[in-house]
Amino acid sequence: MSPLRLTHRDTAAGPVLLVAGELDFVHAAELRRRVERLVLHRGQCLVLDLSGLEFCDSTGITALLAARQRTLAADAELVLAAVPSHLERILTIVGLVRVFTLRATAEDE
Amino acid sequence: MSRTGEGPEPSRDGDRDHTHVAFSALLEDSAEELYESAPCGYLSTLMDGTIAKINTTLLNWLGLDREDVVGRRRFVDLLTVGGKLYHETHFAPLLRMQGELRGIALEMRTARGARLAVLVSSTVKFGSEGDPLLIRTSVFDASDRRAYEEELLRRRKEAEQARAEAEAAHRQAEADRQRLADALAVLQRSLLPETLPRLPGVETAVHYHTASPDRLGGDFYDLFPLGDGRWAFFLGDVCGKGPEAASLTSLTRHTLRTSAHHDPAPVAALTTLNTVLHERYSASGDPRYCTVVYGVLEPGGEGRPTTVQLASGGHPPALVLRAGGGVDLLPTPGGLLVGVLPNAPVATTRTTLAPGDTLLLYTDGLTEARTGPTRASLYGEDALYAFLAAQAPATAQELVTALTGLLKGFGEGLDDDAALLALGVPDTPAHPLPVSDPPR
Repeated sequence: MSPLRLTHRDTAAGPVLLVAGELDFVHAAELRRRVERLVLHRGQCLVLDLSGLEFCDSTGITALLAARQRTLAADAELVLAAVPSHLERILTIVGLVRVFTLRATAEDE
Repeated sequence: MSRTGEGPEPSRDGDRDHTHVAFSALLEDSAEELYESAPCGYLSTLMDGTIAKINTTLLNWLGLDREDVVGRRRFVDLLTVGGKLYHETHFAPLLRMQGELRGIALEMRTARGARLAVLVSSTVKFGSEGDPLLIRTSVFDASDRRAYEEELLRRRKEAEQARAEAEAAHRQAEADRQRLADALAVLQRSLLPETLPRLPGVETAVHYHTASPDRLGGDFYDLFPLGDGRWAFFLGDVCGKGPEAASLTSLTRHTLRTSAHHDPAPVAALTTLNTVLHERYSASGDPRYCTVVYGVLEPGGEGRPTTVQLASGGHPPALVLRAGGGVDLLPTPGGLLVGVLPNAPVATTRTTLAPGDTLLLYTDGLTEARTGPTRASLYGEDALYAFLAAQAPATAQELVTALTGLLKGFGEGLDDDAALLALGVPDTPAHPLPVSDPPR
């Protein structure tokens, strides 16, 4: 098991958070706290780059939902980028593919 | 060095005796002086205990005058009440019997009323005819030794008290642990039914594996009558683990039960649950949700098949193992996690169960179990479908038994809760099953 690694960078469209490692019961709270502290302006887009995500359980999905609420409250947008196939499968089962905006890569085309 | 020569040498021996006498005279004026001032007490009594002679040392210890003692008091008069008792019951009889006693602990009483711990040795002097004449007694001050013994006793009492306190603390901890276990057991009963009701013409089987050591799980199931011959059942999985998940589980279970009695339609029950969870959690910025399959079963009979209506909120599809072999998926695409959005879509499906068919609901603890030598890969739906295809057809109990074995095989790889609920229509409902094996 590898711990969660969060890397933050800013782009013109908004912050990009690289989420790598395991998003599980132990680590999901870290992501939630990090997203809570982000400065988000109206109309910006928060991108969670999940290309390095190795594992995500229900508490990880809760953290993603909390990020969605955080961006909605700021009149901003949330994008999940490079969602790994195992997570996309779960998001499909639970119906969340139609709630989240998914994009192939973190870079805005 | 060794003496040489054959005989003794008188002149030398004479010198030595002389030196010896002079040396002893220098230190002890007389035997009387030795008796009176010896570092221990001496006394002699008649056989009835009357003191005939007593030395100065002992008189000084006791603070008594010789003339008040000799011929006037008996040995027992010098003892404390306890010492007197012991003397009368043990010391004197033993001395009469054995003629000698050594190192007996007694307590003497001084003229000022203080106690003096002593060790007493006595011998009886016999006459030429063998008749007892008097008793000679030596008395050693044992207060130091008594103090040492008392210290030992005090320490032992302290140790015993410490042990008693430790035992009391242990009993208290044990009682607390038991009370907590009782409280947890009550909570667990609010999460899961203790037993499932018997359905006419339907066999049920469940299994629940909880990963949390306090047995407060995040998976749940239930089965209960709707009162019109139909039965409602559900199985689901709340997000998170431990006590927080358990409180969500409890809310979910009781909301579903209540709404089922209000409007048993699967969509209505899950919509109500969605509203309740969203209002309680997500709307306040603390999103919590569950996935759940909710169903209503109408037992068949008189040519009618058993029918099942299902609704799902983001839960893995239910499956049916058919009597003729094969597994049917009951997909419910579009159903969303319950509690996430204010108006979540609920997906529905329906099926019929013929004799020999078995419906299975499970939580993803089963398919998310980590497998492989490094526990890196997940067991997955495809492996589960293959496993089930190999089991079909199976009764509800056979199926749950097989899946329980599968879960056990995951060992440490099963790190989440897992729940199984199977509802099967027996192959020959009209004929009762044999109760016991035929004799061999």
